Amino acid sequence: MTVDVKMAWRNIWRNPRRSILTMTAIAFATLLLVFMLSFQFGSYDTMINSAVKIHTGHLQVQAGGYQDKKRMRLAVPDPGAIGTILEATPDIEAYTYRANAFSLVSSKERTYGIVVIGIDPAREASVSALKKVIRHGSYLSSTDTNQALIGELLAKNLRVGLGDQLVVLGQGRDGSVAATVVEVKGIFNSGQDEFDRSSIHIPLSHFQEVYAMRGGVHEVVALGKSLGAIPAIKKTVAGVIEIKDAKQPLVVLDWMDLMPGLVEGIQLDLISGLILYFILIVVVAFSILNTFLMSVFERTKEFGVLMVIGTAPGRLTKVLLLESLTMTAVGIVVGIIAGILITWYFQVHGIVISGTSEVVRQFGIPERMFPRLSFLSITIGPTLVLFITFLTALYPALKVRRLQPVEALASV
Amino acid sequence: MTKKLLIAFCLALFIIAGLCGSGKAEDAQALVQASFDYYRGKASTATVDMTIHRPDWERVVTIRAWTKGQEESLFWITAPPKDEGNSTLKKGREMWIYNPKVNRVIKLPPSMMSQSWMGSDFSNNDLAKSDSLIKDYSHSLTGTETHEGKKVYLIQSIPKLEAPVVWGMQKLKIREDHIFLSQAFFDEDLKLVKIMTAHDIQMLGGKLFPRAWRMQKAEAWDEYTELTYNELDFKEDLPENLFTLTNLKNPRR
Repeated sequence: MTVDVKMAWRNIWRNPRRSILTMTAIAFATLLLVFMLSFQFGSYDTMINSAVKIHTGHLQVQAGGYQDKKRMRLAVPDPGAIGTILEATPDIEAYTYRANAFSLVSSKERTYGIVVIGIDPAREASVSALKKVIRHGSYLSSTDTNQALIGELLAKNLRVGLGDQLVVLGQGRDGSVAATVVEVKGIFNSGQDEFDRSSIHIPLSHFQEVYAMRGGVHEVVALGKSLGAIPAIKKTVAGVIEIKDAKQPLVVLDWMDLMPGLVEGIQLDLISGLILYFILIVVVAFSILNTFLMSVFERTKEFGVLMVIGTAPGRLTKVLLLESLTMTAVGIVVGIIAGILITWYFQVHGIVISGTSEVVRQFGIPERMFPRLSFLSITIGPTLVLFITFLTALYPALKVRRLQPVEALASV
Repeated sequence: MTKKLLIAFCLALFIIAGLCGSGKAEDAQALVQASFDYYRGKASTATVDMTIHRPDWERVVTIRAWTKGQEESLFWITAPPKDEGNSTLKKGREMWIYNPKVNRVIKLPPSMMSQSWMGSDFSNNDLAKSDSLIKDYSHSLTGTETHEGKKVYLIQSIPKLEAPVVWGMQKLKIREDHIFLSQAFFDEDLKLVKIMTAHDIQMLGGKLFPRAWRMQKAEAWDEYTELTYNELDFKEDLPENLFTLTNLKNPRR
């Protein structure tokens, strides 16, 4: 055994330049994979967290069917009770109540059909970024009644500014006509055009009065301490709520249920990324195959000699595999270490992506991205490289077994 | 041999049916127009109870309505008290709504036309484009049946090319005395979306008229909106100045 290892090691350094080039190729592929995967995972976290922060939250409790139909009457009748449950649930950072109604909103000049959202000003500020994205005027206070926050694009469309009045006309929970006049108190720009174009926010208490909500809300929105804790929270809350209220079902939805578009976007990006990495690995594999094959061909005579003096073909295969595995291992270890170092640097300092496009802005991705090292992002790439290089090395290693000693001796 | 005869017979039947069909196209058109004129009259005033029914919930709104020809209507809610004074004016294909609480008239933007009217199963378009059936569709007779001893014409209405319509097809049932029995709305894929049916035909405003009209969505049969006429008067004419924005705010009783 030790003789085999020694032979393999010596064989590697017989042609140091070639071996180092091969190992560098492997190391570089590994480095790239570690960095890119960490970067992708990191950007998904950023995307999800910023999308979640804009509006949806990590998790919502709603009346069954509300997510699909958005009907006024599908309300959570006793939001306070859900609040108590959420208080008792570990890993919940903050929660708030919201009610929504599709309504006509009309300025002096124009009318649009948009969503009026009733929010609890104090709680909302701890869950969503709404307070932070106010660009003009100020955020709602707990004593406000018929004051409203309006998206910048909608304000432009309606041609209103701070202090202007808006007539809101919709339908209450009981089917009656809901009407109110609100004054623009703040104008926000979240960066998500759809959100800035299609909603106004008014205090929840005023909303409940105007839309005859009888104390009900449509969404109880919660923010978890981390993305990873969400499945557990969802399970806990769902367990409590389903037992508590069997007659009028309430459901717990996580960010994946609430933003299926975002999930699809991430999956698409991940898959296209993986295809690219696969192609990269195949290219690297071919160059490695070339090296391995050359090292076998140029040693045909030597193998012939070894076989003639009684070396079993299996042992030759073993030595060749040891040789290639050692090179791969060195390459991968160097690649992982370099990859971690580079990724870690950017994880601390961030990568500035200037000129973010419209598509990226839709999901509210910030300009500075942070890759995130994780066990998965460090291991997926190297495992793939190891697997494919091993397959590549198998071919020359097995080819040796079919050598005829006499013919091999005759070759140059 | 019998097979051939059968085919020949079928062919003959097909041709005759085709001939009848094309010959009756004009008739179908006239029939729809006559029926439309019959139920709209030249002008009318009415009091209608609108019942919005949902499986777990029901709501009745009383509406005072004025109509003139095909173009103009004014609706004014008189009950429940909470909603009293809300009104809708339709002139041509434009609609305005008024709410007394905020004392504002709002013209409905085009994007809102497919939304429901006052929370019912009628859309704003159903009101605003009520004359669309005559203007934008070509009608053909597809069959007949009987209803209370009278002949009923089954009519299929297909939108004319490039007509600005919401529906892919409509199917009408019109009785020989021009009473509208039903109107079914189909989408572009010719899937049934909703259907309006007339019930309880009796003497109203001096002529036979269905007292109740029910609109229901195809996907939810336990959800419907029913209009029941409490009062109906057909008039020769109504003053033009009735259908104005001023009257929308403060209609005469």
